[in-house]
Amino acid sequence: MATISDISNEFVRNEIEEYIEQPDERGQLITTFAKVRPEMQEIAAALIDGAHHTVDELTQKVLEAGAEALEVMDDGLIAAMRIVGIKFRENFIYVPEVLGCARAMKAGMKHIQPILSASGIKPIAKVVMGTVKGDLHDIGKNLCIMMLHGAGFEVIDLGVDTKPDEFLAAVEENEAPLMGMSALLTTTMPNMAVTIETFIDEDLRDDVRIMVGGAPVTQEFADEMGADGYGKDAMECVALAKRLIAEGVEASG
Amino acid sequence: MSKIDEQEYRKRLEQISDLFSRMIQRADELAAERCPYKNRLDQCTAKFGCRNQGKLPTKGGLLMCNGDDKLEYRSAWESA
Repeated sequence: MATISDISNEFVRNEIEEYIEQPDERGQLITTFAKVRPEMQEIAAALIDGAHHTVDELTQKVLEAGAEALEVMDDGLIAAMRIVGIKFRENFIYVPEVLGCARAMKAGMKHIQPILSASGIKPIAKVVMGTVKGDLHDIGKNLCIMMLHGAGFEVIDLGVDTKPDEFLAAVEENEAPLMGMSALLTTTMPNMAVTIETFIDEDLRDDVRIMVGGAPVTQEFADEMGADGYGKDAMECVALAKRLIAEGVEASG
Repeated sequence: MSKIDEQEYRKRLEQISDLFSRMIQRADELAAERCPYKNRLDQCTAKFGCRNQGKLPTKGGLLMCNGDDKLEYRSAWESA
């Protein structure tokens, strides 16, 4: 039976000792990490710490040295995310730290992307995401992006305060079949409709499926402005994105 | 560069989605009692103004959150 001392990386060891309190979870993580190569433990440590530059560098290094992509995913990225999830559940960390870890995971996955392409594995679809003009609230959008990445979408994140022209340019440039807009303020919510109108004016509305979300947004409002779908949270966002893509494939097939 | 088996890759995506789904559920629960922009050090990570933000930046450059989370914190957010 593996023990905590079988884990070579001090940071990972300390994280398990300090934050994983349930015996079954602690046992599982010790068993997992005791078998993990030190290089992968280093990646895991950096991810738990939210150090995206370090995850970026280390992942590139191990892949160049011949590591298998699935080993990096299993032993470096996913194993680390399990610790992050438990820390979040137990209130040792909060949403900003979780998003930092998700960013670090994305930095690692970036190096796996070329291997996926070479293996003929494509993302489900490209999605352009942004918070509308005048709105600087980004937590909801960032949680949606985290979920979309996890589900296998390629996301183009336009950030906050995104003007209609910026949405338009990103969709065109990336040939994205899907776009998501977020607004948290009742004062900025109408900018979703303005953005949709911009797509209509440029004769590009039929090229992209548009989803909307955010605290004040409702299905009724989404219907009124002519969006293709409304998601009340990040879980619905992913389900909606998958449905809209499937409908698009059916329509074109 | 060795290739990835698509089925195996999809299995990993399911694991990631499952992990993230639980985090999203937790984030939803937590939003009822704590501002989502407040980090573990009680610093504000928002890119917008909020009346709960302290006046002086902390060592990392972020402002402290002075909200007690007992009030509806969204009312303190200032529009862009």
